Amino acid sequence: MVKISGDWVLALGAGVLLAVMININSQLAEFSSPVVASWVAHGVGGLAAWGLCLVVGSRKHSVAQRQSRGAAAGRIPFWCYLGGVPGAMTVVLAAVTVNSPLGLSGSLALMLVGQILFGLLCDYFGLFGIPRRKLQWRDAHVSLCTISGAGIIIFS
Amino acid sequence: MLCYIGLALLNGGCIASSRVINGRLGMSTGPLRASLYNHLIGFGFLALLMLLGQLVMSWMSGGTTLNSLSQAPAVSYLGGVLGALFVAINSFVLPRIGVLRTTVLVIGGQMLAGVILDAGGESSGMLWKLAGVGLIVMGVYLSRKSSTGSQIREIDRHDEIKSKSAATNGR
Repeated sequence: MVKISGDWVLALGAGVLLAVMININSQLAEFSSPVVASWVAHGVGGLAAWGLCLVVGSRKHSVAQRQSRGAAAGRIPFWCYLGGVPGAMTVVLAAVTVNSPLGLSGSLALMLVGQILFGLLCDYFGLFGIPRRKLQWRDAHVSLCTISGAGIIIFS
Repeated sequence: MLCYIGLALLNGGCIASSRVINGRLGMSTGPLRASLYNHLIGFGFLALLMLLGQLVMSWMSGGTTLNSLSQAPAVSYLGGVLGALFVAINSFVLPRIGVLRTTVLVIGGQMLAGVILDAGGESSGMLWKLAGVGLIVMGVYLSRKSSTGSQIREIDRHDEIKSKSAATNGR
């Protein structure tokens, strides 16, 4: 129970980080373009992640490997390294839809719906080598609350 | 219009698939390395896109976008540091609590922080925003309550992983 709550707080905190990061990045985008700003952020983020790996990486790495040996034994499939590609595509697609009749709020709302739908599919079918999870009614309630709440905030 | 709606939905899929793939990589390499690979690959991919874009731009107008970058305040360069932390945390948490719950919690945190960050600005729709916050808090609370159910699923998961790895070893 304690372990689960810890993950829960971490994920919530990650969302806060994301909001602050988008705020900072959009400042940089004002001086260039969304793609250039994202490129710079990826470069700086790569350096930061490399630094983190050097400081704590080697120790944590072995622990993580030991923990997940059962789950991810053997060679890592090559597509596992390509998570950065759809992540980077996001900026380009957002630039298209934000400048369409959808505008910023419409794009944001639909992106959230897309994320949640994709999350449901991944959990249910265990896509991308993620552990499969049975879906409960509560998951539908959680999704509806989040989507409608986010929609109200975005459009108000 | 329908095409743009599809693109925006697809974009949500892009965000989510990036997080899932990084989470899967983190299961093998640890979350920090997953974050490192994510940023390196994204950096290279965007560099390619920018090269392509530069070709199109020089054909269309000839304007460069990199020149004014030096005028940006120093703090605005540090967004990437937060991004590195974000991907690491995300990759750590996602295989443990599932894609949907991670997504809901990240969106919740993002929206709550967004409302607070914007609170200094106009306060016209503040009542609506508070209603939205209430709904999100409820969603986040519901997802927390389902953690007891997920402990059972957690055990299922370990069994499944064991049987899966047994199957691969047998092959």
